[in-house]
Amino acid sequence: MFQSLGTVVEHYVLIAGVIFTLGAIGFLVRRNVLVQLMSIELMLNAVNLALVAFNRAYPGNMTGQIFAFFIIAVAAAEAAVGLAIVLAFYRLKGTVMSDEGDQLKL
Amino acid sequence: MNVLVPAAPILIVAIGALLLMLAEAFGSPAKAAEAGEGVAALDAGAGRSAELALGASVILFAGAIVSLAVWWAGAVDTALPGLAPYLVMDRFSLFFCFTLCLGGALSALLAGGYLPEHGLDRGEFFPLILFATVGSMALAAAGDLLTLFIALETMSLGAYCMIGLRRGSARASEAALKYFLLGSFAAALLLFGGALLYGATGHTDLAGIGTALRGMLGQPNGGTALAIAGVVLMLVGLVFKISAVPFHMWTPDAYEGAPTPTTTFMAVAIKTAAFAVLLRVVLTSFGSTELVSWGTGWPPVLAVLAVLSMTVANLIAGRQSSVKRMLAYSSIAHAGYALIGLIAAAEKPELSASVLYYMLAYTVSTAGAFGTLVLCGSRGAEAVSYADLAGLGKRHPPAALAFSLFLLSLAGAPPTAGFFGKLYVFSAAMTAAAQNPAIYVLVVVGLLNSVLGAYYYLRVLVFMYMREPEPGAPIAKPMRSGYVGFSLALAAILVLALGIWPDSSLDVARAATLTGGP
Repeated sequence: MFQSLGTVVEHYVLIAGVIFTLGAIGFLVRRNVLVQLMSIELMLNAVNLALVAFNRAYPGNMTGQIFAFFIIAVAAAEAAVGLAIVLAFYRLKGTVMSDEGDQLKL
Repeated sequence: MNVLVPAAPILIVAIGALLLMLAEAFGSPAKAAEAGEGVAALDAGAGRSAELALGASVILFAGAIVSLAVWWAGAVDTALPGLAPYLVMDRFSLFFCFTLCLGGALSALLAGGYLPEHGLDRGEFFPLILFATVGSMALAAAGDLLTLFIALETMSLGAYCMIGLRRGSARASEAALKYFLLGSFAAALLLFGGALLYGATGHTDLAGIGTALRGMLGQPNGGTALAIAGVVLMLVGLVFKISAVPFHMWTPDAYEGAPTPTTTFMAVAIKTAAFAVLLRVVLTSFGSTELVSWGTGWPPVLAVLAVLSMTVANLIAGRQSSVKRMLAYSSIAHAGYALIGLIAAAEKPELSASVLYYMLAYTVSTAGAFGTLVLCGSRGAEAVSYADLAGLGKRHPPAALAFSLFLLSLAGAPPTAGFFGKLYVFSAAMTAAAQNPAIYVLVVVGLLNSVLGAYYYLRVLVFMYMREPEPGAPIAKPMRSGYVGFSLALAAILVLALGIWPDSSLDVARAATLTGGP
């Protein structure tokens, strides 16, 4: 079925895969919480791109594109809560590096 | 059939959450100023935890009762006009709606005692717990990737805020930050898996994905690689939420840093909802013959996770000095036991009844165990370590007795709910092992781990009944709160009732199982 998607769709899906991987690597490697948040946004946008691209292969419905809208809305809510948590963390610790959170241990 | 009737449990809690949010926002600030001791006077909901807790628990108990009523009225319909396939209100969903409302109500009652006692008297906790419960109920009823994602985020966003409720505490914001970062990462993995499955099958509804995968994976070509990658990513995202090893790293930190009622909610409702959606996804979408076989499918992967979860969590739990953190590791181990039932259900879908019963038993036992920790602390001194509990059997016999009951249930001693939970999971695994001998290994590991787990549960009993507090050490005094007392009494009655009449509740769980693939 993947072959039937056509070259254009295939390219978009490949790009989405690359962006998603970059986001995942960024999340795992970087320690700055703000960069980690941006990496998560990158991953979510890669998902949107993949959904919209796949939707071209199924012209009978708009599921993929509608799904992308929902992801955009929820990602905004998630960023709002996330930034609030980062702000609380920064006020108490004076840093936004996630490896400074080391009070909870065995 | 009218759409509103089967969806009533979710609607009641959702509307109740909105009303409670208004009540919290427009409450009388004068009253708040009187009670506002160490509380920011700007919060309209400050100082009103008690009444808001009452409201929240009444709404959640109403949700639980309506779930039962819809069940008995037989108003279940899997293809509701306008809702299908997004929400599937079958008996499976209703069973979990009941369990989740119960867990949420017990946590809300605990919060009604805990928040005023520890200078956290802020009203927003209660609308948040209701919204998070709505998310968890919708997650258990989700029949489409879209609903699954939105419900998962509704539940998680509420939980993130409830963890960070104590804004002045570095530990709480650290816990919230860790859970938030890893939770969003897992949600992104789950979404990418969903997008790949959509690309491979053209469906976002779980049943449609199941049908399409059934036809697809038998053939050598096609979108197989895409589909397999999608299945793996989806499973990683879901297993993160049930906090199975090695996706458990956030659990002890988030559970320890959060206020104890939030910990209760996370251990009880979030884990149960995650198990519900995991069951539905693996049995409906990934239920094709290739995917449930031990050669080419997901059961061996989840089996490894189950063995790791039980063994690693039990070994680390024994070395904790904090009882709260020990209970966090114990909840990871319980995810491992429940996974055994899930793997048995891969052989025969009706065996998933054991997981349903297990989650109900786990809900009441864990809510009770964390609830006793809430009860044992009072202003300024939370009971978190073993030393805090030393001599509790003499100082406060009812609290020690209740704690013993819940710990024995978690350890799996008869005649409690936890014993029958483990019994049903292991006997389901034995039934499945007749078809697939590899499952015997799981049963043996599970039994050995139950013995290992008994060590650290009994250690608490030793501290409560056989140790005296160190001279001069600060002693955590039990608090007095009708809410906490009622919550514990209810949990204790349910633990005993499920243990004394296990058959009838197992019959209910059997009636609630998913009938397998589409």
